[in-house]
Amino acid sequence: MHVVGVGRIRAVFEDFGAQVLFAGETLAWALRPPFRPELLLHQAAAIGVGSTFIVAVTGLFAGMVLALQGNYAMRQFGAEGYVGGFVAISLVRELGPVFTALMVTGRSGSAITTELGTMRVTEQIDAMESMAVSPIQYLVVPRVLAATLMMPLLAVVFNATGYLGGYLIGTYVSLIPPGPFLDHTRSMVDVHDMTHGLTKALLFGTVVSLIATYRGYSASGGARGVGEATTRAVVWSSVAILVVDYLLTFIAIG
Amino acid sequence: MIRVHDLWKAFGEKEVLRGVTLDIPEGTTFVVLGASGSGKTVLLKHVIGLLKPDQGTVHVDGVEISSLSGRALTAARQVFGMVFQGAALFDSMTVFENVAFPLKEKERRIAADDLRARVVESLRVVDLGEDVLESWPSQLSGGMRKRVALARALVANPKVVLYDEPTTGLDPITTDSVDSMINQAKERRRVTSMVISHDIASAFRVADRLAVLYDGRIAAQGTPEEVRRSDNLYVQRFLSLWFEKQ
Repeated sequence: MHVVGVGRIRAVFEDFGAQVLFAGETLAWALRPPFRPELLLHQAAAIGVGSTFIVAVTGLFAGMVLALQGNYAMRQFGAEGYVGGFVAISLVRELGPVFTALMVTGRSGSAITTELGTMRVTEQIDAMESMAVSPIQYLVVPRVLAATLMMPLLAVVFNATGYLGGYLIGTYVSLIPPGPFLDHTRSMVDVHDMTHGLTKALLFGTVVSLIATYRGYSASGGARGVGEATTRAVVWSSVAILVVDYLLTFIAIG
Repeated sequence: MIRVHDLWKAFGEKEVLRGVTLDIPEGTTFVVLGASGSGKTVLLKHVIGLLKPDQGTVHVDGVEISSLSGRALTAARQVFGMVFQGAALFDSMTVFENVAFPLKEKERRIAADDLRARVVESLRVVDLGEDVLESWPSQLSGGMRKRVALARALVANPKVVLYDEPTTGLDPITTDSVDSMINQAKERRRVTSMVISHDIASAFRVADRLAVLYDGRIAAQGTPEEVRRSDNLYVQRFLSLWFEKQ
């Protein structure tokens, strides 16, 4: 019993170590020629443009809920006017990057793991290696770069539709006057909040795509193995997003 | 061209290769015969550096593949073309893109017309016409996929072509055409071929030299005739199953 426990803990550390080495290898291959901008663009379209709609919709509803909840809480102090600022700060610093990363994990992260996992178990990755092409450079680097670049842009989309949703609900449903709503937004949110949130989104993009590509790249055992790899990718990405979120927030304002 | 010396490999407790030594001269077709699970594919993956040996060395074209890694290994693989057991075509690419892939990667500045001409020529070697260029791998039959895989392996003029079970799961007629493709590749392009197979009939049709792998070791090695006369009991039994049927 005791031995089994130790073995599992060891396996978790080994797995984490392999993931870190994979990240290092990805970085090394990203810096070496040949560079393949066409693959990067293709992935940016798949991950970024492909996720825009779902991110915009989730953002809209998140903002609407924030306005309702904010109004519910602040009305008790007669501070309804601050709802605009509350919605904006919550979105920009926290909910925008975190929700966007979770949505991209569910949509693109799982797709990346399944695709690379299938390529692994059908020997397509071996085939690529046999043709003197590094699969890390050809398959992993464009996906990680695209996710890293697209995540902040998607977070901006989330923030924009979120604030719009908050504004509509705040002013038309909760009947907060638009003047104070917008005014307090301007006074409460500054550029540091933006950079804080976008830095988070950038790192979430890197972390999520590294986990998704690693899980797919190291998949084994046929269709079932690919399924397991995808489940793990989604679970570990989601956990990693929240852990990294805490660490970054602690470093910034701890 | 290929020298494998005293190769050992274990996965956990299981010893798959136990001291394999082979010598494959340039321009010949060398077949490694063996039952399922005898370690054939593991041997092949060592030759192209997809696996690292626990002990022993693999030299290809004078380069010790078994000691390389990273960029040096990637560069050393330029001499190879490989045909995988399940064809391993990229299913997100058309037939044209699949066959063009190794060429585009090897000669990055190749002109579009040139690229197309060489892809078409390579497909012609395996008896496929231009009508398949825009097909997706999922639309092709198993035999056609194997041919496309062979065209892809040959397109960049490799010095060495490795075949992993090229005739497994194919009907007798397609098997026969795959055999003649292997022979044609040797005659027309003077490539050195290493074929991993358990198909005895096919092995005797294509092999200049043969080795029988049993339990991680070479049980017999030589010309097809020498192997056929081998006094190793396992080799006799393995071959007799087929020769008795003739």
